[in-house]
Amino acid sequence: MNTVMTREDLEQILDQALQDVTERTAGVCLRQDDQPPGEDLCTVHITFDKGFNTSLTLCADKSLLARMARNSFHEESVSLEDLEEFSKEYLNVLCGKVTGAMYRATQIPAHFGQPTFYPGRYEPEGQEVQFILTYSDEHSEGAQLIHHVPCPQEDSVVSDET
Amino acid sequence: MSKRLMVVDDSRLVRVQLEDTLAGTDYVVAAYCRSGEDAIEQYAAVQPDLVTMDIIMQGMDGLDAAEIILKNHPDARIVMVSSLAYDDTFERAKAIGAKGFVDKPFHQEQLLHVFEQALK
Repeated sequence: MNTVMTREDLEQILDQALQDVTERTAGVCLRQDDQPPGEDLCTVHITFDKGFNTSLTLCADKSLLARMARNSFHEESVSLEDLEEFSKEYLNVLCGKVTGAMYRATQIPAHFGQPTFYPGRYEPEGQEVQFILTYSDEHSEGAQLIHHVPCPQEDSVVSDET
Repeated sequence: MSKRLMVVDDSRLVRVQLEDTLAGTDYVVAAYCRSGEDAIEQYAAVQPDLVTMDIIMQGMDGLDAAEIILKNHPDARIVMVSSLAYDDTFERAKAIGAKGFVDKPFHQEQLLHVFEQALK
């Protein structure tokens, strides 16, 4: 994902997919903003393989995810288990849209694994942030979609230095 | 007269969305199955007019489950439902006899159009 497409093209695909899927699944309108989410966070992470060795992390205000889950499931309140179920399914649908758009752009099929949910913030090991898209809604609750790429191998760092 | 659907999907989110999308239409959900194995087992008892089948599920995937249902019940009408829509997926769905393909998340107009075509 990091080498086959330009960063700008990938950002555009991710942005469009996130806004579309969020509005259609949860009735929430997210727009790009500079305001990062607060301290009470949840994170859901997914890894791409077969063609794109990268990962996506959605880090969002717990209250935003809870509202999205309530809207989607038509429930007045949601448990942490509901929140986890919603977050994983939401990221699954989002990644389906993203990989479909990437395939149309590159003709390279990407596959993604099962999403993993974490209360709080999560940083995947062995990967570094390539870019972050930051969003907020009309309630000033926010989310960040973070694209990670593999860290450069230590060997290549050493060889660059010699 | 209402058309009876069997919905095969392990996602609660998709099930709720499908109910929302089909509210006020002639389609009613006669059975939910959370896996391909469950759908194969229940098909004969439910005898739905139409099956919506997710592709990526835990255990057997939707394409394999559709193929087995169609072998056992050649008159079954199955529409594949997925957010992952590659050319090879379309081709395989067509080859095994699926009647259509619907993208997630759903657009009501697209969903009903595919259902109508599948039932012709």
